[in-house]
Amino acid sequence: MSRSRLFFGLLALALILSLGWAFSGNQMPPADFTFVNNSEIKGVDPAKVNGSPEGNIVRALFEGLTRWHPETLEPIPGIAERWEISDDGLVYTFHLREDAKWSDGSLVTAGDMVYSLRRFLGPRTIAEYAYLGWCIKNARRYSLASSSLKVGDLVEVEANLPVDAINTLRGELVHGKLVEIEELGNDEKAFVVEHDGKQTRYLAADDADAIKQEPPADSRWCRQVLLDFREVGIEEIDSRTLRITLESPTAYFLKLVGYYPFAPVQQRCVEKYGSPGWTKQENIVSNGAFTLGFRRIRDRIRLIKSDTYWNRENVRLNIVDALAIEARTTAVNLYMTDEVDWIISVPTPSLKVMLKADPPRNDLKPAPFLGVYYYMLNTTRKPLDDLRVRRALSLALDREEITSILLAAGEVPALSLVPPGITGYQAQETEVHDTQAKNVARAQELLAEAGFPKGQGFPRLDILYNTDEAHQSIAELIRKQWQRELGISIKTRSEEWAACQSSQQQMRYNVARRAWIGDYTDPNTFLDMFVTGGDQNNTGWGNPDYDRLIREAALETDPQKRMRLFEEAERLLMEELPIVPIYFYVSKNMVKPYVRGFYNNLQDVHPLSNIWIDRESKSNEFTNPGIGKPANNKLELAKEQP
Amino acid sequence: MIAMSLRRLGWMVLTLWVVFTISFFLMRAVPNGPLSSERNLSPEIERLMAKRFNLDKTPFEQYRMELGNILSGDLGHSFRLNDFTVAEVIEQGLPISLSLGSLALAFALTLGLIAGVTSAVFRGTRWDTGFMLLATTGIALPNFVIAGICILVFVFFFSWFPAAGWGSWQHMVLPAFCLGLPYAASISRISRTSMLDVLSEDYIRTARAKGVGPTRVVMVHALRSALLPVVSYLGPAVAGILTGSLVIERVFAIPGLGTHFVEAAIQGDYTLAMGMVLLYTVLLYSMNWLVDLSYAFLNPRISAHS
Repeated sequence: MSRSRLFFGLLALALILSLGWAFSGNQMPPADFTFVNNSEIKGVDPAKVNGSPEGNIVRALFEGLTRWHPETLEPIPGIAERWEISDDGLVYTFHLREDAKWSDGSLVTAGDMVYSLRRFLGPRTIAEYAYLGWCIKNARRYSLASSSLKVGDLVEVEANLPVDAINTLRGELVHGKLVEIEELGNDEKAFVVEHDGKQTRYLAADDADAIKQEPPADSRWCRQVLLDFREVGIEEIDSRTLRITLESPTAYFLKLVGYYPFAPVQQRCVEKYGSPGWTKQENIVSNGAFTLGFRRIRDRIRLIKSDTYWNRENVRLNIVDALAIEARTTAVNLYMTDEVDWIISVPTPSLKVMLKADPPRNDLKPAPFLGVYYYMLNTTRKPLDDLRVRRALSLALDREEITSILLAAGEVPALSLVPPGITGYQAQETEVHDTQAKNVARAQELLAEAGFPKGQGFPRLDILYNTDEAHQSIAELIRKQWQRELGISIKTRSEEWAACQSSQQQMRYNVARRAWIGDYTDPNTFLDMFVTGGDQNNTGWGNPDYDRLIREAALETDPQKRMRLFEEAERLLMEELPIVPIYFYVSKNMVKPYVRGFYNNLQDVHPLSNIWIDRESKSNEFTNPGIGKPANNKLELAKEQP
Repeated sequence: MIAMSLRRLGWMVLTLWVVFTISFFLMRAVPNGPLSSERNLSPEIERLMAKRFNLDKTPFEQYRMELGNILSGDLGHSFRLNDFTVAEVIEQGLPISLSLGSLALAFALTLGLIAGVTSAVFRGTRWDTGFMLLATTGIALPNFVIAGICILVFVFFFSWFPAAGWGSWQHMVLPAFCLGLPYAASISRISRTSMLDVLSEDYIRTARAKGVGPTRVVMVHALRSALLPVVSYLGPAVAGILTGSLVIERVFAIPGLGTHFVEAAIQGDYTLAMGMVLLYTVLLYSMNWLVDLSYAFLNPRISAHS
């Protein structure tokens, strides 16, 4: 008997101890503002993340040369207080603020920017967004490392470091001229570099291998051979002045440098703790409106207002909690019980009910943003290589039926690739007639012309999508529409994300689902995908005229003419239809009425530094953008200096 | 008993190795890898990433390196949660999972035993039928349905508890309850059956004949023997509670390990998935071992050698 008593005593003790363990040191003051940031973020290193939950945190922690206006998304001064642009649109000179500071109190210098941009572009950083920086002169060649080198290039050779060296340190650099590239087969190359009149043969090796093995005779190990960074158009003029030279006039460049991957990181911090050690809350040094306060995986990230940020008097939130909650219903539950102030998306069933509420809710307002849902057609396969077939498929699609039955938030049927809303750009729509019956009649005609009257003899096509309920129901409905209107037989096929992606890359599909969210507010982010052989162009389609138009647009300095070139390109794309646009996304934010300074905008991006809480407020900028302007928040648009 | 424990330890090491090997090659057999991203990457970047994670080496070479790392106690960095090592992920999540699991187990034991013993003692009465009806429902209902009902009632209707999150005892009650309920149902059925068996035994009749009060007969003489099947059920129950917390963790937004266990596998986070698999193996193995030990401890008739 004493044994069983002892047993249950121990059991109870274990329970109490484990409860105590879980709750020890867990007293945190409540946050001023709490929002649901969907999934757990991959990290807070600006160069190494992508995705919108990451963006919400990184934008709060770091600030680039410019910021984005919370409503219009126009670039406004960030750590650069002003800039000059050369007449040919190629040279940008940024003047940094005297009071732009790191969270350790030191100044943010032009040297910091050079270091950060080099790190962002450097191949060993493996920044997925590095391609956005390729508009900078020679940046692409720098990023692509040895594969882009030619004999005669000025290069830098990075020496190996000991295996236990901090992983963010760079080896010593030797600058020289590339005199010979020897192909050793199996993707291996040797580089002969002339330096101080002496030629040395370099072979790339891992740090570990470089220590273990002696290099072959007459050769030396190195980490990598790169284009000399001094050839890249990024230079420090003095500690407060940075000059960036571009490949071609890039109209959206000021906007781009405000995008978080271009934000500076502090070299001292990164090189002292290594990666990812430097991102720990006890180590990280940042320069944005907030600092990293607390982080628990899959729970929350706490942001604390920075007391060194140059614009701190206009940051009105002191503590912000970003919750990592993937279950959308859970997010809605928390919002409904007033535990959180902003949720990014609402599940479709709840959305349907809420949008019907009478009187209309004052905290929900879906709005279009730059995202498009489309199907790719594999133009290398019969019968999709026939333009008439592709046009018939597009015409037979009843997009209204899809958006009204399957989607709840007022998604807009898409007839173009570029979503509406980009200032100065008129999206070019694919062929449609005034009624769906006429569309269908024309589609049937086209199919008959292509040799498949009433769908006879048409091979069975499959629609490939990545496993997801919403994609499935859309694919099923489209299958029904095509079968009904064209008499062709379709089946649907789902694959897990990675498998689906590799099927698309290897063109093992007929029709495949894709979507694209614009990286910046410019048609280029959508249209440059479909140049011949583009990384995202898995349709097999290519058109020299299209490629020429995109290239000419990149070189055009007149904004009007540039937009016309893009329009012409899109018209071509929508005539040839390697892709069939289906619908444009809308944002599905729910924001409490007392949250001020929160705007619907084209990229569904909401900088935390502009948000404040006004408990008295019955209406806010979110549902009523016209209500009074925010108090002086240094949001004045950048004035170009002569 | 020490010999048995040592033998068990030996087997555990072997099991860990087998589990590691199978999971290692299974993970690499599925197309989803740590490199898959939302957009197509240029081939150069992809090659560099593969190199960074040693994925350019042969699977066998990768296996040798991984095994070496794990033997030296290094579980590595998570591929997907870039800022954390696998050890840090476990360090943050394990206490949460364990305390949630313990509370769920406490709920399961308390509710299950009360219901089981009551039904056995009042066999054939309305109490018996009622509790057993509840128990059958509890086993049949998946825990996300229970969670949904609980949230409706206790969060939206009564506002007694927060809807989700972690940080105070109020946050724990609903998830632990929902997690423990199906096990409470099983425990009540097991304890009812064993209690009925024990109550018909001779020594209970003897105790009654000697004039021992009915409460004492049930709570002391009968319960002690009737508990043995419940204790042996605790092994699988603990296993189920620990590995089955995924749904509850998602619904109540609890930062425990259950979500990592599944997400790491789905997202192709090789290192984290391996770490989780090994951790769960160790946990389940030691829980079963503890149950065996306590079984021997509670019932001296069973020798630890058998």
